[in-house]
Amino acid sequence: MKCKDIQEVMPDLASGLVEVTPEIGSHMAGCGACATKMREFQQTMALLDEWKAPEPSPYFDVRLQARLREEMAKPQAGRLGWFRRPVLAAALTVLMGVGVGLFYAKGGGMYNSQDSEVATMDSPVQSAEPGTAVGDLQALEKNHDLYSDFDLLDDLEVQHNVVANP
Amino acid sequence: MAGGEGYTDAEVMLRVKAGDQSAFDYLVQKYRRPLVGFMYRMARNAAVAEDLAQEVFLRVYRSRHTYEASAKFTTWLYRIATNLAVNHARDTRHERAEVTVSLDEPDEETGTTPDLADGTITAEEALVRREKMLAIRSKVEALPERQKMAVVMHKYQQMDYKQISEVLKLSESATKSLLFRAYETLREQLKEFV
Repeated sequence: MKCKDIQEVMPDLASGLVEVTPEIGSHMAGCGACATKMREFQQTMALLDEWKAPEPSPYFDVRLQARLREEMAKPQAGRLGWFRRPVLAAALTVLMGVGVGLFYAKGGGMYNSQDSEVATMDSPVQSAEPGTAVGDLQALEKNHDLYSDFDLLDDLEVQHNVVANP
Repeated sequence: MAGGEGYTDAEVMLRVKAGDQSAFDYLVQKYRRPLVGFMYRMARNAAVAEDLAQEVFLRVYRSRHTYEASAKFTTWLYRIATNLAVNHARDTRHERAEVTVSLDEPDEETGTTPDLADGTITAEEALVRREKMLAIRSKVEALPERQKMAVVMHKYQQMDYKQISEVLKLSESATKSLLFRAYETLREQLKEFV
């Protein structure tokens, strides 16, 4: 038996978990280093024994029972619970894929390069439908002078009787 | 089934799986003390240890439907416990303050104060004892995570190499080597107290 073999079982030997076999005993008798290490390990083990853990408190069981009751009150996912979530995610992914595919198939993609090139070459500013946000902004830009004159009208004193002479 | 006497823990757990609540109560009663002790040495706080031990039991209960008696029950139980303890240590590693020794204040981890009133120990002896405790705790705490878990399971849970190796998913020889290195470190660092 070699020192390495003794080292492997030394924690168990020092803790008293295994008995010293005649083979181990004869090695220890002839190997001062292993005998010394064994003695020091035994001292360390005895020291570690002094670290006691507290007993569970009297409320341990009460609290555990309360947590268990909460657990039991939760709705059960059922036997196919583990299966449903991935299936739902896969279904949503497929639906999104189909949606995106249809969007591009109809030529409605944001980056439809052919259309945008034509638009840029033929008319730098496309007129938008009136009533839409873009249309309103374009109308405001075109009629900037007119609308700025309205500010002057706002500054005038309000005449309540519109038919009377000022 | 009124309890689990005469059955292996794995068999009792199969009864839990079948819906026997008294079988679960039996396992709680059997393992509450070792688990609180294990968690206390991993988390170093009695209240946290109880919370974590309860969480282990809750996870056992939640997993009852999927339990297979292929592995030893204690291996499964301590694997849940070590995972929880490691997660807790990672979540709270920045919260740990430097531990100081004082006889005036109760130990924040156990809630106890040195009993000097009965005159069996002097204040000096109590202080020395407490310093020794702090040294043991801090040196075990300072071990690398797997060494610490192996020491706690071996020294305080009396688990053998095979069981520890199964919980830590290591070979038996790697576990022996891990434990030898851990105890070597503790022997070296605690020699002033022996």
